[in-house]
Amino acid sequence: MFDVKGCVSLGANHGPDPHGHHHGVAPRIGIGGPVGSGKTALTAALCHALGSQLSLAVVTNDIYTTEDADFLRRAGVLDPSRIEAVQTGCCPHTAIRDDITANLDAVERLEHRFDDLDLVIIESGGDNLTAVFSRGLVDRQIFVVDVAGGDKVPRKGGPGVTTADLLVINKVDLAPHVGADMDVMISDAHRMRGELPVIAQSLVETPDAPEVAKWVLAGL
Amino acid sequence: MKASARLVVALDSHGNSVVRVLRSMTPLTLVPARRVGPVALVHLVSSVTAPLGGDSLCLTVEVGPGATLDLRGVAATLVLPGSSGEPSSSLVRFSVEGTVSYLPEPTVVTARANHTAVVEAELDGHAELRLREVLVLGRAREPAGSLSSSVRATRCGKPLLHQQLVVGDPSVDGSVSGLAGRRVVGSSLVLDGIERKADGGEWWSVVPLAAGGTLATALGDDVVTVTRVLDAI
Amino acid sequence: MLTALILSDSRFPGGGHVHSGGLEEAAARGLVVDEPTLRSFLHGRLVTAGLLAAGFAAAAARGEDLSELDAELDARTPSPAQREASRAQGRGMLRAARRAWPSARLDALPRDPHQPLVIGVLAGDPFEAALTCAYLAVSGPASAAVRLLGLDPFGVNAIVAALPVEDVASRACAELPALGSPALDLLAEAHVRREGVRLFGS
Repeated sequence: MFDVKGCVSLGANHGPDPHGHHHGVAPRIGIGGPVGSGKTALTAALCHALGSQLSLAVVTNDIYTTEDADFLRRAGVLDPSRIEAVQTGCCPHTAIRDDITANLDAVERLEHRFDDLDLVIIESGGDNLTAVFSRGLVDRQIFVVDVAGGDKVPRKGGPGVTTADLLVINKVDLAPHVGADMDVMISDAHRMRGELPVIAQSLVETPDAPEVAKWVLAGL
Repeated sequence: MKASARLVVALDSHGNSVVRVLRSMTPLTLVPARRVGPVALVHLVSSVTAPLGGDSLCLTVEVGPGATLDLRGVAATLVLPGSSGEPSSSLVRFSVEGTVSYLPEPTVVTARANHTAVVEAELDGHAELRLREVLVLGRAREPAGSLSSSVRATRCGKPLLHQQLVVGDPSVDGSVSGLAGRRVVGSSLVLDGIERKADGGEWWSVVPLAAGGTLATALGDDVVTVTRVLDAI
Repeated sequence: MLTALILSDSRFPGGGHVHSGGLEEAAARGLVVDEPTLRSFLHGRLVTAGLLAAGFAAAAARGEDLSELDAELDARTPSPAQREASRAQGRGMLRAARRAWPSARLDALPRDPHQPLVIGVLAGDPFEAALTCAYLAVSGPASAAVRLLGLDPFGVNAIVAALPVEDVASRACAELPALGSPALDLLAEAHVRREGVRLFGS
């Protein structure tokens, strides 16, 4: 999807902006998923894992506050100037899918501030299983679900689970405590997603999300 | 009645701001202070009750390079309806190459008044202007009449501020998008070289204008509260 | 006409959905709580900020100089928060418009133009431009009220439908207005300073 210089290979709906706005100067990855599934923790883990080798920036889309952005700033995984929070007008799925203007503005602010960006991570506000990122906003997207949300989530499907470029099943360390059957979750996920990859992980056991980081790097 | 008055202030060879032209016309009476110095102080005195329905008043003020004029009111202006129900109007036009401060006392928009007030100020590159306006919607327990108050300030022809405020329509005065039900609205425009940071509270703000200058705005239930904000810049 | 319809559609991807036009701040202070207070808010907004914006949309549609209009609207928008909200929505609308309706006049707009100018250029017809702009001045806050306060959408829709949007659009075509709304300016300035929960950009 990306060429060697890190430029997006544009799909049919991407068309370069004819008036000087460099659409897709840095590749963009979206991280979406339900509330509490660990999107912010995964974003922080990726910043920690990749921040030393890549010029990174993050856009957060909170439902209610700038808490996710504040969390990332406090976590110290990224210089605060590399983090932008956008307001979503109560509708996080609208801001990442139907009307991506506020997010594009935030990405452009970051690109203006740092002309050497290798990757922009756009973290969605917590939403439901139907929320996916627009292809006009991100080049690839990760959908994050967690074991504590119930082992039937992958089976329920929805565009997030079935079409995301990567499905991450978070908090596998909790499986024995919440009575979730990991084998069922993972096999359901593969059944729903066909060839698309699935990574099951625990940020308690592997705080830097190495498998996800590897997947991200492989696409750059 | 129709009246036009004119005031010209210039810097003399001793560095004093002196009144070169002073032409009053009832009811616009200009009273210069008997003192000589870098600032010329002139009071604008309404010599009869004005503005009254049917009045059309015009004051032209010119301030030359280096000169400073302090133009003040002496008492609150009562905008009153005429017996015929005709509208009244006032126009104050500043042409500034020096410095002007125009701080009239509050204007009270009495019931059934129908007045249009316009202030225009054209500044040259280095001119400075300080302009204050405080409107009170009616006397105590009185509904406000209609008033349109406009300010347009330009520097070398380029617009700095252009604002019209219309009061007297209860559906707007009472709206949270109008005057939020407050009886007193005030603003203070300062056009000088000083950059001031945006600041504010529940019903007041101090903001930098896009093309230079600062505007303080306040809404309140009494004149004291509002002028306290305006005096801060 | 189709352009005006598309621009005023809440599904138009121009970034309008993250702006409440002061409604969020008013709701946070308990000043707009129900349908009567919303009706008053929207009416006041329409005949002040709505008229101003519509007048500039009409002027841009008439073919007046866009840079001069931009400077004149700046002079009529003392609140930096209001200027930023107008320019953010203008920028968003322009981004979408360049794909849908590219034109030399669109390219003549200043950088991050005020939204009414973009509407005027796109709509072409002064009345349609003014009508679109006046409608957007109230439809955005009305939608925000539904989302923030959980008001009955049928009730809110009825309020919007009864507002004198066409009258305001007609008046806006007659002359370039300079009408201000001190309370809206103060709400906008307070909104950007508000700590904690803030769901809308303005």
